[in-house]
Amino acid sequence: MNYAISVRHLTKDFRIGIRGLKLRAVDDLSLEIPRGQVYGLLGPNGCGKSTTLKVVLGLVSATAGEISILGEPSATSAARRRTGFLPEAPYFHKFLTGRELVRYCAQLSGVAASELDAAVEDALGLAAMNEAAGRPIGTYSKGMLQRIGFAQAVVHDPELIILDEPTAGVDPVGSASIGRMIHAMRDKGKTVVLCSHLLGQVEQVCDRVAIMDRGKLVLEGAVEDVLSRRDRHVMTIEAMTPTARAAAEAALEAHGAKITSVTHPRRSLEDLFRELVTGSRDA
Amino acid sequence: MKDSLRRTLWISRVTFLEAVRQRFFAFLLVLSAAMVLSSVSLRVFDFGHGELKFIADFGFGGMFFFGSVLAVVMTAQLFFSEIDNKTALTLLAKPLSRPEFLLGKFFGAWAVLGVFVLVLAGLQGVVLWAREQELVAAAEQAGRIPTTFSIVGLCQLVLLQWLRLGVVIAIVLAISSLARTFLFTVVVGSLAVVAGQLQWIAQDAFLRPTDSPVYTAFLWVSTRLIPNLQQFNLADALVLGSAVVEEGALISVGFSGLAYLVAYLTLGSLIFRRREI
Repeated sequence: MNYAISVRHLTKDFRIGIRGLKLRAVDDLSLEIPRGQVYGLLGPNGCGKSTTLKVVLGLVSATAGEISILGEPSATSAARRRTGFLPEAPYFHKFLTGRELVRYCAQLSGVAASELDAAVEDALGLAAMNEAAGRPIGTYSKGMLQRIGFAQAVVHDPELIILDEPTAGVDPVGSASIGRMIHAMRDKGKTVVLCSHLLGQVEQVCDRVAIMDRGKLVLEGAVEDVLSRRDRHVMTIEAMTPTARAAAEAALEAHGAKITSVTHPRRSLEDLFRELVTGSRDA
Repeated sequence: MKDSLRRTLWISRVTFLEAVRQRFFAFLLVLSAAMVLSSVSLRVFDFGHGELKFIADFGFGGMFFFGSVLAVVMTAQLFFSEIDNKTALTLLAKPLSRPEFLLGKFFGAWAVLGVFVLVLAGLQGVVLWAREQELVAAAEQAGRIPTTFSIVGLCQLVLLQWLRLGVVIAIVLAISSLARTFLFTVVVGSLAVVAGQLQWIAQDAFLRPTDSPVYTAFLWVSTRLIPNLQQFNLADALVLGSAVVEEGALISVGFSGLAYLVAYLTLGSLIFRRREI
């Protein structure tokens, strides 16, 4: 199978200080990320997620291991032409307007001159940044910076999009907007790799996840498989009376089943916030 | 190759825009321009030399000094702003090679210094021409041979100064690609400029016979590693005609400058290739 990203036995050591003490950031990591999926790379701060992505993108060299992107050796120009990247806490040249930045990135990514205008407008539209695209980036809010960062990452229509903490510091409305962009990319058949420690969002948008800790891979699999407890079931019941509950318990016990807890369903605080605050503040 | 040139051009374009919007550039340009213009009113302090020589020395002195400050500080700032603000991460994750990035930075900074040198040389030309007219009229009345300056010489000097500043930018970029901090780059870059200005001393010493092979080797390495930045200072000879400069000598200075420029850019690219961002 041709994977979007294939990482085999990746190890990355950093040398610290004059004595060159070795700090192992990634330890014998092997990962295979299938094409056309949203893949979440999770873990606490300092677990090696961002380092792994930097090695994949050729920004940092590997101490050991092999990496390929879309079947090409990583860090080659050909591989990067098919990859889009949004770094953590992106910072762009403040004096450029959003449109100028996206155009600049499109030019660097090899978009043909004849397709440039259309590609830039498409990317701005996808990130819902058309209206603010004429303003200098220095005037953008945090959420708008992330969205313009997303636009520059996808302007050359890459097959693989790598997002490093795309919702860090962004409010729930902005975060939901980025979630929609990720879904739009998946619907177009793109592979999205999402590096985050915001587990709620990852659970909502990702098809597969990998969890890293101290540079090692500790879990990998489809979100559904990883989170489901096959030996437990949840039923949501409307208008349940004490009598109905007693009858249900008796019926279940007759079949050897047992109710272990009964609670009221809750919506998440994030859902409630998004319902109350309809977000057009960034537009 | 065509794509590579384009990418380099786009990086240099944004680098140029970033640099000309900096207050530091505007401040040094205004300061240097004020120095050129003030040379007219300060010409009474000409210490017995010709007035035009004083005006030229004063104005070109400002251009050399502030141009060097701009080349060191601005280049280091342009490089480290990309690294520290992590815009380099976004750019280098695209199909942009590190030598293209470094060359883009070089050409952007060099273009800014081209504007700096051109504006100041233009002002200097106007000041020299205006004073020359007055001196010619006075000399004709007194029946003396008037002092003049050469426009062609001024143009040649502009090119030489631009090349000299290009060498300084290339040295600073080579230091930046290795250094971890802006401050270190500015300090070492400034020392490199001072060393370049004094390189002729090492060259003179190398030509004198010594008994110590270590000392001779040190001088040999120093004279090859550090460019002689004094060789570009031909203002008197080119602009005021105080000495004859042969065309061959100018070409030789030009080639020497270009060779150092290419060598330091190549060195910077090789170091930057291995840098972890």
